[in-house]
This record gives sequence, C-alpha cells and structure tokens, in this order.
Amino acid sequence: MDKKLGVYICSGCGIGESLDMEKLSKVATMGYKVPVCKTHPYLCGEEGLGIINSDGEAEGVNTIVIAACSSRVNHDIFAFDTNKIMERVNLREQVIWSQAVSEVLPPNNEDTQMMAEDYLRMGIVKAQKTELLVPYKPEGEISRIILVVGGGISGMTAAIEAGKAGRQVVLVEKEQTLGGFAGRLYKQFPKQSLYQSLQLPPHEILLKEIESNPNIKVYTSAKIKKIAGGPGLFDVTLEQEGKPSQDEAVQFRVGAIVLAAGFVPYDAAKLSHLGFGSSPNVITSVQMEDLAKKGKITRPSDGKEATNVAFIQCAGSRDPNHLPYCSTFCCSTSLKQAIYVREQNQDAEAYIFYKDMRTMGQYEDFYIRAQEDEGIFLTKGEVVGVETIAGNNLAVTVENTLLGENIRVEADLVVLATGIVPATAIEFITGEEPQPTTEECKVEETTAPKEVIIRSDILNLDYRQGPELPQLRYGFPDSHFICFPYETRRTGIYAAGCVRHPMDMSASMDDAVGAALKAIQCIELTNQGKAVHPRVGDESYPEFFMQRCTQCKRCTDECPFGAINEDEKFNPLPSLTRCRRCGTCLGACPERIISFKNYSIDIVSSMMKAIEVPEEDEEKPRILAFMCENDAIPALDMAGVNRLQITPYLRVIPVRCLGSMNLVWISDALSKGIDGILLIGCKHGDDYQCHFVKGSELANYRLSKVKETLDRLRLESERVKLVQLSINEYDLLPGIFKEFMETMEKIGPNPFKGF
Amino acid sequence: MNIKPDLKFVKQIISAGGCSLKKCYQCATCAVVCKLSPDNKPFPRKEMINAQWGLKDKLVSDPDIWLCHQCSDCTAYCPRGAKPGEVIGAIRKLTIAHYAFPEFLAMMVGQIKYLPLLIAFPVLVLLAVLAATGHLNIPQGEIVFGHFLPHTHIDAIFLPVAIFAALVFASGVIRFWRDLQTQCSGNCGQGGLIPSLISVIIEILTHSRFNKCEVNKGRSLAHMGVLYGFIGLAITTALAVFYLYILGQHSPYPQLSPLKIIGNISGIILLVGISLIVLNRFKVKVQASIGSYFDWLFIGVIYLVVLSGLLAEVTRLAGIALLAYPIYFIHLVSVFFLFFYAPYSKLAHMVYRTIALVYAKQKERE
Repeated sequence: MDKKLGVYICSGCGIGESLDMEKLSKVATMGYKVPVCKTHPYLCGEEGLGIINSDGEAEGVNTIVIAACSSRVNHDIFAFDTNKIMERVNLREQVIWSQAVSEVLPPNNEDTQMMAEDYLRMGIVKAQKTELLVPYKPEGEISRIILVVGGGISGMTAAIEAGKAGRQVVLVEKEQTLGGFAGRLYKQFPKQSLYQSLQLPPHEILLKEIESNPNIKVYTSAKIKKIAGGPGLFDVTLEQEGKPSQDEAVQFRVGAIVLAAGFVPYDAAKLSHLGFGSSPNVITSVQMEDLAKKGKITRPSDGKEATNVAFIQCAGSRDPNHLPYCSTFCCSTSLKQAIYVREQNQDAEAYIFYKDMRTMGQYEDFYIRAQEDEGIFLTKGEVVGVETIAGNNLAVTVENTLLGENIRVEADLVVLATGIVPATAIEFITGEEPQPTTEECKVEETTAPKEVIIRSDILNLDYRQGPELPQLRYGFPDSHFICFPYETRRTGIYAAGCVRHPMDMSASMDDAVGAALKAIQCIELTNQGKAVHPRVGDESYPEFFMQRCTQCKRCTDECPFGAINEDEKFNPLPSLTRCRRCGTCLGACPERIISFKNYSIDIVSSMMKAIEVPEEDEEKPRILAFMCENDAIPALDMAGVNRLQITPYLRVIPVRCLGSMNLVWISDALSKGIDGILLIGCKHGDDYQCHFVKGSELANYRLSKVKETLDRLRLESERVKLVQLSINEYDLLPGIFKEFMETMEKIGPNPFKGF
Repeated sequence: MNIKPDLKFVKQIISAGGCSLKKCYQCATCAVVCKLSPDNKPFPRKEMINAQWGLKDKLVSDPDIWLCHQCSDCTAYCPRGAKPGEVIGAIRKLTIAHYAFPEFLAMMVGQIKYLPLLIAFPVLVLLAVLAATGHLNIPQGEIVFGHFLPHTHIDAIFLPVAIFAALVFASGVIRFWRDLQTQCSGNCGQGGLIPSLISVIIEILTHSRFNKCEVNKGRSLAHMGVLYGFIGLAITTALAVFYLYILGQHSPYPQLSPLKIIGNISGIILLVGISLIVLNRFKVKVQASIGSYFDWLFIGVIYLVVLSGLLAEVTRLAGIALLAYPIYFIHLVSVFFLFFYAPYSKLAHMVYRTIALVYAKQKERE
C-alpha cells in the first residue's frame, strides 16, 4: 500500500494554550515532510472529523496520525475504515495535563514543547512503519462446534446453554451416565428463596433437556485421547470404552472447549487422624449421600440405624498438611445431612464441629433453618481425635470449643466433610516424577521458570508445553481467578465448575453459562481472524521470518499460552488461533524474527530513534519508560487526568506486555544516549496481575541478563529498572519517575550521548 | 469432659419462652453489649450455647443467669434475633422449676392450661373453710372482715401456706447452693459468707446492680416500687400481728393508725411499681420482647393482690357490703395463690437471685 500520511493536531482541551502549535506542525511538515498536516481546535467534533474524512477522499490520505487525547478515550470517534492506518499521539493526558498546568512550568515551556514534539515524531514514525492489518485466516475449515468435557452439572449446563444458543455441542463423559456427583446425591441443599427445604438434585431435569436438544451429541464412557490444533481447529480424538480398536476411534473438529471435568473428593485415607480407616463407622460426606440415597442411614459396622451422628467439618481442608483451601459447600452439605438424620428420626441427634461455618450469601438462611432444628448441635472447635469405644461407637474429642472447654462426644456414626480436589490436579500417568509446585521458588531468577503441568489425562493436548492446562494454584487450571473468570492458559479452552474453583451446584451452573458464552465468543472472533481476551478484536498477529530462526526454542518455551508447537527439527510452528497477541515471543526472540504488522522490533527501535536526545551540556536528561498497555498506561493517563506532575524528561513507549520487551531495545536506547530506562508492568509472583500471566515475570527474568549488556557497554546497572504497578497506583507514578531521575543525577549522564 | 447433649431440655427451654434459642451463632455481641457481664467468662454467650446443647446441669447451677436483670440490650443488638435475654429468662424459669419440689407443681405454674386448676385450689380451700365455719354468707351490719373470716381462721390457713412455701424454698436453696459450689474450680475468690450477704442485701435495696443496666433506669425504678411495696406490706403484716396479738386490738383500724398509713402507702407504691413494669414491657416489646406467660402470671397475681386489697378497703369504707366481702374473698384467694405458688413462680427469683448474687460476691464474680 502506498502510504499518504495525514497528521491532525487537536488544539482543544488546553493543548493549544500550552503548546506552540506552529512549531509542532513544523515537526511533521518540515521534519518528516508529511504532505497533509492540519490543526483543529475540536478534532473530535463533526467538523474536525469531516476534515480528516474529506482529506481521505480528496487527497488520498490513508495513514492518519491523530495528535490529541489518549487512545483510551474517543476510540469510537476516531474510528476509520479498515483500509486506513491510524495512530494516536497522546498530547493531552501524557503531556499538557501532566506538565503545563504546573506552577513550576508555565505554558509554552520549552521542555513541554520538546516532549510533545518527541511524541509526535514517535507517532509519525510508527504510522510510517505500520502496515495495514490483514485478519488471520487459518488453513482448514473453522469449526463452530463446542466440545464440553465432563458430564456433571457444569458440563450438562454448558452443553444446554450452548445448545440453546444454537450451537452444535459434543458432550464427553467418562462415566456411563451423565450427572456427575449430583447423580450420587440424595438431595441437595435449598437453592431458592426461602432457602428452607431440601430439594432434588437438578441432573435429571438437565438430562431431559439434553436428550430433547438435537444440537447436543453425547458420548458417555468416553475419554479424550488427543486434542490437536487450536481454537476453531481443535481436532479431537475420542476413545470409547469397549471400542478399543483404532479404526473405531471417533474423530471430529471443534471450535472451542469447555472444561468441566469437576472434582474428586479429597482422599480420606489421608485422614487417619480423624479415625478414617480405623472404624467402618467413620465415613465421608459422599458415602453419607450413598447411605441416605439407599433409604436409611445406618452404621456400616452393624447396619443399626444411626441416631447420634457427628459431622467433622474441614476434614483435610483449610489445613496446610492437606488442602489449604476451603471447598465452599461442605458446610451446607453437612447441615443438609444433619437434616437427613433428623428427618429420619425425630429423636436423633446430629453434632457439627466446624472451624468456621461458611454458608455464603443466602445460604445463611439455610444455616439458620438447620440451626433452628433443636436436634442439631453445633460448635466451633478443633477435632483432635476420633476413637472407637465400646459397641463400635465412636468418641470425638474436640478442643477449643465454644462451650468453653474441651469436650468428648459419643456418636454412632462420624461423617468427615472432605473437600474437593480438581480433576486437573490428579496425576494419572505414573513413572514420571510429578514436579512439586514449590519447586518454582527454588529456581534461580536467571532461568525462566518452568511450568508444572500435571498429566491428569483429561484433555491430552498435542501441545509442546504439555498435555494439560497449566495451573494457577493447588491444581486449579484457572489463569486469572478474579479479573477474568473461565480463562485458562490455553486459548479457546474455558474452565467451569469445580475444576475451576470450589463451588456448589448452582454456582457451577452459573459458571457453565459463562464458560459457554466465552467459548461462543472465541469461535466468533477466531472466525473473524481476531484475538480473544485480553486483546479482544485485535487483528494483528505475529509473523515469523523463519529463514533466520536458530531453533533456540525460547518462543516455544516462553509463550504463556502454549501457542507454539515445533516440528521435528525444533522449528517453531505457531498455531495462530491460539495466539493472544501479547508479543512475548517477540520479546523472547534473540534473532528478532518475530513481528506484528503494527508492533515490531523495528517499529519500536525507530520510535526510540525519533526521540531527540539533547547534548550532555544542555543538562536535559532523557529517561525512557516502556509501559504496559494494560495497567501502566491507563495509570499514566489517570495521573494526567488527576493533573499529577511528571518529570518533563520522560518519554514513554507503550508495550503490549512487558513480556514483549526485547532486550535489543534496551541496548538501542542506551547507545542512543538515553540516560535510563524504566520497565513498568503489572505485578508478578503469586498474586500476579499480568493480563498475559507470565509477561512481567519474564521481563524480570530477562532483565537479569541485561547486566551483561550493560557491562559490555560499560554502563551502570541502575540505568535499567523494572517497576511493578497496579492500575490503581497511578498516584505513585510521579514519585517513581522522580526517584529514578534522582538516581540518574547521581550516576551522571549516559556517556553515549551524541555518538 | 464428656458431653451428652440433651434434646429434651432444649425443647423445654424452647417451650419455656426461649424459642429463638437455636438462632444463636455465637458471635458474642450479647456478651459485649451487656453492662453487667463480667470480663472473665462473660454471659450470655456461653449460656446460649450451653442451652443449644441442652446442658441442663451446667445451666441450672450457673450463677450468671441470675446476674442478668434482663435489660434486653443483648436481645436488641443480637444480629440473628436469638433473643438471649428471653432465653436466659426461660432458663431462670426452668431453674426455679428444677429446684422446686414437687416439680410437677412448677410445671403447672409454667403452663396456662393449668391456671384454672391452680386458682381452684385456694378457692376451694377458702370456700371449704368458710362453709365449715358457717361463714358462707354476706354478714349484716357494719362491714368488718373479721366477721366474714375471723383472724384465727386466716392464720390457720395462711400460716401453713407460708410454712409450706418456706420449706420448699429451703429445700431448693440447699440444693442450689450445693450445685453452685461445683461451678468454681481453681482460682476463684473466696469472700466471707456474711459480708457477701450483707453487701448483696444493700445492693438489692439500693438496686445498685440493677441500675448498671443503663437502658432501663425506668425498669429499675419500677422494680424498686414493687420491692418496696412488698417490704411495706410485710411491715404492715408484722404490725397487724403486733396490734392483734400484743395490743389485742381487732380490725378494722382507724384510717390514721400507722398500720393503715403504712399499708395504704405500700399498696399504692406496689400498684405504681407493677404498672410501670407493665408499661416498660410494652415500651421494649418491639426490639426485645413483651415477656412470657411465666412473667405475666406473676404480674397478674400482684395486680390482683394489690387491687383486691385496695378495693376491699374502699368498698368497706363506702359501706357496700355486697361488693366488699366478695372482693375481700378474691383478695384472700390471690394472697394464698401468691404465697403458695411462690417457690414455683417468678417470685422465686427473689430467693435464687439473692443466693446466686451472694455466691458471685463471694467468688468476686462481677
């Protein structure tokens, strides 16, 4: 495409008063020989937009640089045809609002003007280098079918909801029947106002809906042997029990996957301290359901009716030696089972020993209802032992009770409320040592941390990084627990229900709806060649210049989403529908062969080159900040909105993610005479906030290698610094820059200035 | 310690007025808002869970339930509507029943369905005495209650009634005191019995403890009215004995005699006091509760005693024999009722609270 550049500078919102507009225009017209350069006092108005549009028609301007406000605002107004390239230069939030209104810096301040001019140069250069985006079209036909893995309540709901939305669904369940744990329940605790009476579990109703929906195809007694490909192109191979031969393997293509593999109860064999195994009359809550469903709650030892039943909550939960987390529904489950006991016999007694009674939300009403039953006795306390006494009875010893003393209560049946373990946390393939998750802490910072992928034999992905989903914590395959539910670290695979985090049945059903919607979105966006979360709608994608690839495997290793497989010669094989467009591969590649049409090593390097670095004797240092577009850049905008004053010596280059920071940019900047470089990205570590999960962590690890570069250039390592910032910490930004400037003053100017 | 929850006792507390008992989830707001609760092992939180678990032995011998003057702050502030004040009230009622002998009488006093039977007993006894002595008619001439039922007859009826009540109380007190001793093990204070008793009596007379319930200064005043009304009437009774047996003077006495003055004033104080109690109960009924049948039975009996007493006097002075004698009869029935059922009714709190306070004082539990 022959580019014709048009630069449009807005003088509204105070820009005109604070900057010398004429000088600014000259940067474009004189410096870059831009054929069309106009200023307007109200560019986002009808007239301003009219000028841009008519220039497009009359003059053939097809590459537009808007120098006005932040690209985070008015993006709906400055939206042009897809055959035009558009670049935004932020003169408002990042320049005048954080500079010119200062008492120290009057309008038309020289430093403010230099800043604005630099940003305009950078914008023009970027526009010049950017190529028109062409949405990615994969080879092969994109499927719109949704695969749901797991036929419990979550999976059934996901299938029904996707089916109702007119999608074809394939539901795969490893057991002979659908229903999952709901199928084992006698009753479920109340799910509707007034939260008083127990109700039947929902699986039979769901089953009828599935049977009557022609969009849903069900495979029971089936497991997934292999999934290859990526969103839109997942090729699934099923293995059905009783049909072992290879020829009969079912194969089909799906567009997206809902993982609803559910949970397994925590292994009670590990709870011998609570009497499990030493007496048949110590059972788990799942076994209690089995007893209740059979008709009468009796003691396993002698079949006598159980009339004194003790429930031990958090059996192996919220316990650092077992499951550190809360499984959320066990409290309500035990209250429900205590009601079973009471409904069976009005003289029966049920005791519940809890750590904390956790009946969230409206289940509090159910808690009250259970509590009000005079035959249900509750106390907080620590169960320290369960022993067998005469007549196969059990004595439960509880310490630190609310009764003000340690107590011993006799029971004829003890029920352990065991927690849940996500199906993804169960290692199936033995022989290989599973890596403990704590291993990561011991790894030195100079090596990129390896992901732990537990071979849980659920998805069997044909991905280079491993066959299952990477985990966030405790084996849950979530990738962003709070901000982005359902998202996993494998694009197009969305987790729902207890496999994602512990939840009760109604929460699972809600969850399934969300995950099904996510799957539908993914298919639609993939079909349009656009990125999914978090760069939803992005039409750019990475391109690999394979001739120069050295098969170093960094991109395949470091991609947070496992988007890159490799061939037998270790050449990277990107599956672009899996790609989230974070640019981590671009940051990783030492050969710099990976680029986007609007984001590349060259584009960013050229932008840096566009910065005018004053001579040393001018005493105008320059610091450069690479800031993450997801959190740090919005924070910088907010700092501007709040008129926080920022050093005029700062220049900012937004990056897709700190993970896309290529080290060459650092050496480029330093050799150009930039005094110091800040990398400002999201928090990493256990409670990371990186939208691409690993980006800021990888940047941190790469930075450890920067020292080498600096040493080679004989520069101080303090010149490069990584800062972690949350989006809400915008108020810290002025201080961060000020402190860094002070460091620069201390170590003096970059000796490469002027070279 | 081995614990055996007692479902039956839980049900008893619930039917005795503690129906909200099981709502408690042990947040201890009640123990915090209570102005009377000691810092060490405060009430009523622990009483609530002991009650939920039906731990009868612990509850009946718990002195703390008597440290409460039921200001209902706990009930008003309870986030769950568990009404600790009401529950403790119910436990007090059951404690009275537990130490009363025979227990079935206490059970009858606690239930409205037995009320006609309970009233029938004094009515029949009095009617029987009247019939046996030929007084089953309205005497002619000047109204002198002694003509209707001579004082000898009255003494023959009421002395045994008082002795019966005293004996029942004594048996309860002995067992209660014995059980209280099991409450404290280890380091509790050990004050002297007599000094503790004296300071408790002063406390009761001044209502200094009751006054700590800041929200119900009004209730304290009302209760004081009832207490002093009763004390005044007790003095009147003592004077009557003195006039009759020492001075040999028979009733009716002149209106200006000290006995009449003290008696009338006491009666009016009692009437005002009990009326204030009723008013206060209506005032707090929204946030707390209006009280149980057990409470209202006692209030009703006091009303009956004081109103029938005053009306008998008024109708006597007005010379309306047709009214004066029947009202006097009602008065006698109500006094009989008050005394005979005292160990089983709310009036017993007078005894058990005093004992518990003495114990608490001894153990420096304040």
